Amino acid sequence: MKKIVACYKWVADEADIRIDEKSRALNFDRVKYKISEYDRNAIEVGNSLKDKYSCEFVAVTCGAQVESSLKDVLSRGPTNVYYINDEILADADGGVTAKVLAGIIKKIGAVDLVICGEGSGDEYGQQVGPRLAALLGYASCTFVTKLDLTDEGLMAERKLEDGIEVVQVQGPAVVTVLPDINTPPIPTLKQILGAKKKPTTKLSLKDIGLSRDACAPKLKNIGVLGTVMERKGICMNIDGLSIQEAAEKLAKRLSADGILG
Amino acid sequence: MSGIWVISETPKIAWEMLAKARELAGNEVVTAFVVGDYETGMDAISFGADQVLLLEMPANIPWEECRDVILKAGETNKPSLIMVAATRRGKDLAAQLAALLDAPCVSECKSIIKDGENFLTERIVYGGLAVKKMVSNGCLVATIPPGTYHPEKIEGRSGDVKQLKPQGFKMVVRERRPKPATSVNISDANIVVGVGRGFGSKEEIQMAERLADILDGAIGCTRPVAEDLRWLPEECYIGLSGQVVRPALYLCAGVSGQVQHVYGIRDAKTIVAVEKNENAPIIRIADYYILGDLKEVLPALIGAFAKAK
Ligand SMILES: Cc1cc2nc3c(=O)[nH]c(=O)nc-3n(C[C@H](O)[C@H](O)[C@H](O)COP(=O)(O)OP(=O)(O)OC[C@H]3O[C@@H](n4cnc5c(N)ncnc54)[C@H](O)[C@@H]3O)c2cc1C
Repeated sequence: MKKIVACYKWVADEADIRIDEKSRALNFDRVKYKISEYDRNAIEVGNSLKDKYSCEFVAVTCGAQVESSLKDVLSRGPTNVYYINDEILADADGGVTAKVLAGIIKKIGAVDLVICGEGSGDEYGQQVGPRLAALLGYASCTFVTKLDLTDEGLMAERKLEDGIEVVQVQGPAVVTVLPDINTPPIPTLKQILGAKKKPTTKLSLKDIGLSRDACAPKLKNIGVLGTVMERKGICMNIDGLSIQEAAEKLAKRLSADGILG
Repeated sequence: MSGIWVISETPKIAWEMLAKARELAGNEVVTAFVVGDYETGMDAISFGADQVLLLEMPANIPWEECRDVILKAGETNKPSLIMVAATRRGKDLAAQLAALLDAPCVSECKSIIKDGENFLTERIVYGGLAVKKMVSNGCLVATIPPGTYHPEKIEGRSGDVKQLKPQGFKMVVRERRPKPATSVNISDANIVVGVGRGFGSKEEIQMAERLADILDGAIGCTRPVAEDLRWLPEECYIGLSGQVVRPALYLCAGVSGQVQHVYGIRDAKTIVAVEKNENAPIIRIADYYILGDLKEVLPALIGAFAKAK
């Protein structure tokens, strides 16, 4: 039986982040967390392979506050979730994250296929998947839109700038998937309730033999500035103006602004 | 640790990066890894490389499998900066090199400044909502989007060109299906009409097309309209992972204005939104907007613009 792992990141929902107009600082006060969108595609790939070939399928994550994500991920198909929750990972960059995930995957042992999203919803560094492949000594098969298992490995369609490339891998691989590979279903009530009965496996950095020094990011963040736009924000159909009148008002405005030829 | 490496699957992006590498390198050696013949190698030298290592890839092997042979070239001297073209293949290769060198990797790097022993870099995060500044010490890997720098040919340069023979591959290409050439080009249109998921059906897009016709503009869309619904070609979608447009007017309907989409319209001179939900984010970034159902508003706009012209 093949063993499949899907990795996911618990990220701030970017739609909830507000930017202070004056200081351009980001405000996370009202932010909710979610499983990064691309990783939902990755989890669903693992889930459908599990159903198709009766593989063993588990999820893996790490971070500073990932415990709230466990029920959510388990409702999406995996039979277990292996995780490391450690404050030191609050500042983790792609390099640190890959080291921790690789450590967990080695601990699980004899994993045939690792599936990651193409990038994460927050940083979108697009590097954890290929980094994992390098650290594990697996093939790195990125930007995949179609995936199937073979006896010795896998066949995949990769979407690159100039077209599609169909590749064959013999042996274990890390695959990163694009959002067009599937449409992750919203978990049903039954799946959500079922998730509560599934096991979780908590590991520590010590368990995977990673020192705290190795978890210091090599990229130091020296500031994040929100991008702001100066816009007029004028509503055309206020004061009970009909759509027809609003449309004509807009056409006049744009003409006056010199935009309509 | 010294020198700068420039790695690209296509010569053009290598030349662009070489311009920057030359500026950052001072007296240090700039090494280019490119695919091609001796002629390609000499070109890289005239664009700023001191030495060129030609990667000779078998036809059925993905280019990024050149990883190990590149690492080997660095065994005796680790470079202080590795610039890789930020294509999909390039990003894969860059991340693997970074992992094996235990180096940081700045993906889609927007700027690099040398500050003593450190590199200061910038990139976009949170789907286009913010710019992040970072500092790194030690070997840095950065992927550079095509078009970031201007290539500069320098007369009279000389240098070494050598062949590398990559081996030890994990992937084999079984088939390649090139993308059909399209004529869609919205990145230099003066007026762009944006189509979002608020359009109820493919047929309704005709209204946007009529509007674009009258305004002499082009049709653009959001990612789900192209990638999920497949109502418009992929070349039409605007945003972080699609096209960036800079029109005088971006007029969109049924577009909610999520950060990833807004990234691609930030430089539009004027933004007009047709939207039925007054709490949609697009309202906060529009210059003018009409609240209402696009099925009613678009025909009214078609009439009004036809009259105004
Ligand atoms: C990493 C990442 C990268 C992404 N990159 C991109 C990208 O490059 N480009 C991109 O576009 N997206 C991108 N996305 C997706 C993006 O987050 C949004 O999901 C997408 O832009 C939303 O598209 P939309 O506005 O068409 O649809 P929706 O968000 O569904 O909005 C539809 C809007 O239409 C309105 N509406 C509905 N019916 C009507 C009607 N009859 N009349 C008027 N208004 C109506 C609704 O009120 C709503 O505001 C990315 C996402 C991620 C996670």
